[in-house]
Amino acid sequence: MKKLLAILLVAMMLLGLASTAMAEEKTEVTIWYYWETIKHQETLSVVIADYNASQDKVEVKTQYVPFADFKKQLSIGATADVLPDIVIIDGPDHASYAAMGIFADLTDKLADWEDLAQYFEGPIDSCTLDGCLYGIPFGSNCLALFYNEDMLAAAGQEVPTNWDELKAVAKATTKDNVSGLGFCSLQNEEGTFNFMPWVWSTGATSFEINSENTIKALTLIQDLVADGSLPKEAINWTQGDTMNQFISGNLAMMINGPWQVPTMREQAPDLNWNVALIPVDTVNASALGGENFAVIAGGEEDAALDFLKYATSAEKVTSYIDEFGYIAARKDVAAGQFQDDPTMQVFSAQMAYALPRGPHPDWPSISDAISLAFNQVIVGTMAPADAAAEAQSTIDAILAE
Amino acid sequence: MKAIRRYFRGGNLGYLFVLPALIYMLTLVGYPIISNIILSLQDVTVKTIKLPVKPFVGLENYQKLFESGILQTSIWNTLLFTVCSLVFQFLFGFALALFFNRNFTFMKPIRGLLMMPWMIPITVTGLMFKFMFGTNVGIINHALMGMNLIQTPIEWLTQPGTAMFALIVANIWIGIPFNMILLSVGLSTIPQELHESASIDGANAFQAFKAVTLPLLKPAIESVLILGFIYTFKVFDLVFVMTSGGPVNATQVLSTYSYKLSFSLFKYGQGAAVANILFVILMIAGIFYLKFTYADEESV
Repeated sequence: MKKLLAILLVAMMLLGLASTAMAEEKTEVTIWYYWETIKHQETLSVVIADYNASQDKVEVKTQYVPFADFKKQLSIGATADVLPDIVIIDGPDHASYAAMGIFADLTDKLADWEDLAQYFEGPIDSCTLDGCLYGIPFGSNCLALFYNEDMLAAAGQEVPTNWDELKAVAKATTKDNVSGLGFCSLQNEEGTFNFMPWVWSTGATSFEINSENTIKALTLIQDLVADGSLPKEAINWTQGDTMNQFISGNLAMMINGPWQVPTMREQAPDLNWNVALIPVDTVNASALGGENFAVIAGGEEDAALDFLKYATSAEKVTSYIDEFGYIAARKDVAAGQFQDDPTMQVFSAQMAYALPRGPHPDWPSISDAISLAFNQVIVGTMAPADAAAEAQSTIDAILAE
Repeated sequence: MKAIRRYFRGGNLGYLFVLPALIYMLTLVGYPIISNIILSLQDVTVKTIKLPVKPFVGLENYQKLFESGILQTSIWNTLLFTVCSLVFQFLFGFALALFFNRNFTFMKPIRGLLMMPWMIPITVTGLMFKFMFGTNVGIINHALMGMNLIQTPIEWLTQPGTAMFALIVANIWIGIPFNMILLSVGLSTIPQELHESASIDGANAFQAFKAVTLPLLKPAIESVLILGFIYTFKVFDLVFVMTSGGPVNATQVLSTYSYKLSFSLFKYGQGAAVANILFVILMIAGIFYLKFTYADEESV
C-alpha cells in the first residue's frame, strides 16, 4: 500500500513538472491594434480566445493603442526595440513601416500558402513593397455615396451617376441649412482618402497630380464649393463628423464608408437613406481602406504566422468579418457576405473599383502634398492648376529621392 | 576615507549639495536638448530610423525647411499670434487688475470666477471656441446676423485670415486671468501711503498712475510679459484642437509644424530642427527675463 502511494505521489509530481514545463514552452505573441469600437475589440478577443484554446504552443495577447498614438508608439518602439509580434495597421502606412525595416518579409514563408491566391489585388498591393510581401490583409472597406432619399425626392432628383449629375443634384438639394454634398476634407490622410476617388475616376494615378485629369478633379471640387453645394467647413470634418452632419439632416449626400452603417442604423432609424456607387468621370473608382496584419521582424515570427494563418482562414474570416462592417479581403468570403443586406452589397460592388493609396514608403509626405492642394482649392487661396503644379513639384522631389 | 572627509571639510562641501540639482539638470534638461540638436543634424526618416548610425547631414534639414517656406510662415504665424495675444491679454488683464484693486462687495468671489478661463483645460476651451466660431451653427455668426451686422455667415475657421483671428480671440480669453492675477499681486505690494502723498501733492489720478503705479509695478509687468511670451510662443493644444494648423497652413505655428513633421510625415530630423528653432527663440526670451529680474534685484 505504501509503495503504491509512493508511486502515485511520484507520478503526480512528474505530471506537475511536465505541465509546468509545457506552460513554460508556450510562446507569447502580442498584438497591437487601434480599434476603439467595443464591438471590434470583443470580436477580436473571441478569435484570439478560440485560437489559444485550439492549441497549447502559443498564447496570443492583445494591447490596445489609440489610433492617434499608434504611429508614434510604433516609431518609438522601433528605435527602442520594444515592439509587439503582430500589428494590425492602417493600409497606407504599411509601406512606410516596411521600409523602416520593422516588418518581417513573408514572401518566402507564404510562397506555398494556397490561400494567398484568394486575396483581392488591392489589399495585397497595400502589403507589398518592392515586390516583397510584408503582411496579410485583415479586411477592407471602401468609400461610396450615401444619399438622403427624402431630400432627393423633394428636390425631384435622381441618384447621380456622373459628375454633371452630381453637380446638378448637389445644387438642387442645397437650401437653407442643407448642403448638397459633404465629405471629409481634412488636411491629412483621412482627407486624402476621401479626395482620391475623384482623382482616380479621371484615370490619373496617385502620383500624377499636375495632369489635365487631376486638375479636372480639383475643378469639380472648386465648382461644388462655388455652387455652395460643398460646405467649406468640410476641411474641419472627420468622417465621423461628416456622418453626424448627414444624420442630422444637414447634408443631402455624403461620401463615407461602410463602418458608419451600424451606427447610422442605430442613431437614425427613421432617416431614409441609401447608398450608391460614387459618381463617375470616366472610370469607376473608390479608395481602399482597411487594415493589414504585419509580423514584426525579429519577434516570434513563426508563432505569429501560425496565428495569422489560423485567423485568416476562410472559415474564421467568415465568422467575424460581418461584425466589423468590413468586406473580407478574401474573394471566397466576400462573395458570400451580406446576402440579405442591399446597402452593404453596394459596398461589395464598389470594392471591385477600390484602389490602394500609394503604396510608397514616403506616402505620408505625398499624401500631405495632395491634401494641401485640395485644401487650397476649397479655401480658395489657389486655382486648381496652380495648386496641382505646386503639389506635383513636392511629389516629384519625393519620388526622385 | 580621511582624504574624502578632508576634501569636504572646507568650502568644497557645497558641491555635494549642488549635486542632486546638477544630476537632475544634466539628465532631464541637458540630455534631451543635446540629443535633439544631434537629431536635427541627421537624416532621420522612416528609411534610416533603424540604422545604428544615422547619416549626418549637417544643416541640410534646416536648409530644406527654409526652402519649403512653411517654416517662415510658421515663425511669422507664431509671432503674430504671440504679440497680438500678449498685447490684448495684458491690456484687459491690467484694466481688470486695477478694477479689482479697489475694495468692494463681492470683489473676491468675482475675481475668483474670472480665473475660470485659466483653469479650464485648453482642449475644452479649444473645442468650445471651435463650436462658437462654426459657420452655420456657431453662436458668434448667429449673434452677428441677429444684430444685422453681417448678412451672410462668416467662415471663421475655414478662411486663412479669420482663422488666425479666431485663435487669437480664444487665446486672449484664456490669458486674461493670468495677467490679471500677477498684476493684482504687484499692485497690492504698492504702499497706500505713496498714493496718499501723491494726492496731497495735488496729483490727479492719471498723474498718480504714471508716476507711482507704473514705476513700482515695472518688475511685475516685465515678468508678466516675458512669461506670457514664453507661454504663448509654445502654444500647441489650442491650435491643434481648433484648426490643426489649417486652413492651408494659415495657422501653422512652430509647435504644430514640428509635431506634424515628426509624427505625421515621419521626418524626425526636420521635426527636431523646427523644435530647436523654437527652443532658440524661447531661450533668448528666457535670457531677457533673467537679465531683467537680476537688474531689478540689484536696483532694490
